[in-house]
Amino acid sequence: MKFRKLAAMTLAAAMAATMLSACSGGGSSETAATAAAEAGTEAAAGGETEAAAPAAEGEQVVINFFHRWPNDPKNTMFKNLIQEYMDENPNVTINMDCILNDEYKEKIRMVVSTDEVPDIFSSWSGTFAQEMIASGNVSTLTDMYEEDPEWAGKIAQASIDGFTFDGEIYAAPWSQDGKVFFYNKKIFEENNLEVPTTWNEFIAVLDALKAAGYETPIVEGLMDNWAILHYLGTMNQRMLDPEVLAKDYDAATGEFTDPAYVDVLDKWQQLTSYMGDVCVAIDHETARNTYFATGEAPIMYLQFAEITLLEQSLPEGFEYGFFNFPAFEEGKGDPKALTGAPEGFMISNKTQYPEECRKFLKWLVSEKGGAALTTEAGDLSSVDGAVNESNGLPAHLEAMEIINSASTLAPWFDNACDAAVYTVYGQGAQAIAVGDETPESVMAMVQEAAASLH
Amino acid sequence: MGCVILKKKRNVEAFLFTVPALLFLGVFVFYPLINNIVYSFQSFTLSSATKEWVGLKNYQTLLSDGIILTSIKNNVLYAVISIIIQVGFGLVLAAVLEDVAFRKVAPALRSVYFIPTILSMTVVCLLFEFVYNPQMGLLNSFLEAVGLDSLAKVWLGSKKTAMYAVIAVSQWQSTGYIAMLFIVAIQKIPKDLYEAAEVDGASKIRRFFYITVPQVRQMFFVTMILTVSGAFTVFNEPYILTGGGPGTATMVLALHMYQTGFIKNNMGYASTIAILIFVITAALSSVQFFSFGKKEDA
Repeated sequence: MKFRKLAAMTLAAAMAATMLSACSGGGSSETAATAAAEAGTEAAAGGETEAAAPAAEGEQVVINFFHRWPNDPKNTMFKNLIQEYMDENPNVTINMDCILNDEYKEKIRMVVSTDEVPDIFSSWSGTFAQEMIASGNVSTLTDMYEEDPEWAGKIAQASIDGFTFDGEIYAAPWSQDGKVFFYNKKIFEENNLEVPTTWNEFIAVLDALKAAGYETPIVEGLMDNWAILHYLGTMNQRMLDPEVLAKDYDAATGEFTDPAYVDVLDKWQQLTSYMGDVCVAIDHETARNTYFATGEAPIMYLQFAEITLLEQSLPEGFEYGFFNFPAFEEGKGDPKALTGAPEGFMISNKTQYPEECRKFLKWLVSEKGGAALTTEAGDLSSVDGAVNESNGLPAHLEAMEIINSASTLAPWFDNACDAAVYTVYGQGAQAIAVGDETPESVMAMVQEAAASLH
Repeated sequence: MGCVILKKKRNVEAFLFTVPALLFLGVFVFYPLINNIVYSFQSFTLSSATKEWVGLKNYQTLLSDGIILTSIKNNVLYAVISIIIQVGFGLVLAAVLEDVAFRKVAPALRSVYFIPTILSMTVVCLLFEFVYNPQMGLLNSFLEAVGLDSLAKVWLGSKKTAMYAVIAVSQWQSTGYIAMLFIVAIQKIPKDLYEAAEVDGASKIRRFFYITVPQVRQMFFVTMILTVSGAFTVFNEPYILTGGGPGTATMVLALHMYQTGFIKNNMGYASTIAILIFVITAALSSVQFFSFGKKEDA
């Protein structure tokens, strides 16, 4: 009897213990890095009175680096770059951590306002950057630019602008991107078509292609809301008065009552009528790989960042060119603007080693890092001269030219306004494409969503 | 006297055994639940440092939110179809497999029907994306092959078919599981009931309705709760297959909650939607619990 009771108690205790350890298990791996960082701090405590900011000689510096590229080739590229930096600077240990886009957004939003904020982390420009900065834990880097004009001078101004708020710079821009129409040169030549510069010319081209037997003159995977938002962001920018747009994209003052918004959705409806029935049931990648790359659809709205991916699925001899989104005849926005935003790295102002973090970022955001980005991942660096004949495809060079010649970089729609607004916009525009909603009814929903924010 | 002490000791032992489970429930079920109720009266985002009290504002939004209506409609559709196919058809399937005529092939068929259940939902959904693909998908290709071209559709891209296409995936996956539960219940039915009925000249259909169905009533209760609460908390299928689209045609409550919380970054209102889901599933479960429980007494 006694034995049974003892056994029961032991079992219960064991179960409870297993449970508790299971609970704390998740936390311990996360805190391991911080614990290591703290150990470093304690070691530094002695020297701190003499030399506060720069890490003392021989002291072990631990930097937590968090980004959103767990996939190759970028993950390996970062690993190699970090290893190289650590070899050059034996006193520095960089702990890299990464998770993919949406999960990254969730996690960084959760930790940025806490003490767990990573020392260096990646950020989109626009509203996302603002949200990060609003946490109060992002360090301003304006003096870093001022102190080192040689380094700062090599970074594309348009990229810096995406991270400048109230005159202060908050990030070191890493990559830049742009969204343009890619077109099949051969098909355009066969049908004697010119690259359109205005909306009516664009529609005329689409009509001509349709007449020539192309069922889907332009293709998009409308299952992906973000792909729709890329269109709408550009179309709003081209159509609306910039002042109205700025007021509406601001969560505190957004109304979306200008009739031009309905015009934009009317044009969206018109455009989707050229995309065929299938577009609502496929995603962006399918559209790119099985429609554009096969020549079935001659035009597609793509990012420069997709060049490398596209090249992998193109048949021999496929030639493509770029043209920026055409201007609306009645549009009030700048038709020379290019939709596309930079991404960059921020430094937390809670970091123990601000100088070391800056040193590493300057090393990373350089011609060397930029060249690695282009050669290994096919992305365009924000550093001047990082993309050149030796490491980029001809398309990359042409893309750089388009980015540099753009009057301004307009942010992605989902970086430009609040998620409550763009989610409704994306779902509404999708519903327009399948004939479920009208431009007027969608704008009514958008107005309601915008009003709920203030 | 000794007997009483022994009983008490046993009670302590019994209680000790429940402690880990109670602790587990407390930490992972009751604490978050209560917390969630508090959150539903607040307004905050994932990155906000403080939570602002907004009283009943989130509940007002809930009442005026059009997507909630669409979602509930879709969830109800999900539940109705799931009951008909999974519970109804699952029971028939179980009865057929347990029939003497199928004795030889039943084990093999049971495994075949059960296989979808052990596949990951994500894998199943990705598979069905290929099945539904309008260009090269199996479904449309099949329809064309048998000369029914006119029935080929853009399954996931049309508001008319998208919800049914999503629901069908769950039926394909879960019917085998429910059938398996019924098989277990049917195997527990005393054989002499069937033998007596057979002697009395009852047909197979009559035996099904007058012996099998009443005898598996308990299992009915379990499977109904499983399918209905499953239907009101469904998330994976619409999330992976359509993301709630086209427009909001395939939006369900759990997906709306997720999008509100993690995409629109409005955690307070998302908590309110969570409360709604909780109330609906709790109410449905208790209705089923009490209605089935009473029959048991009678």
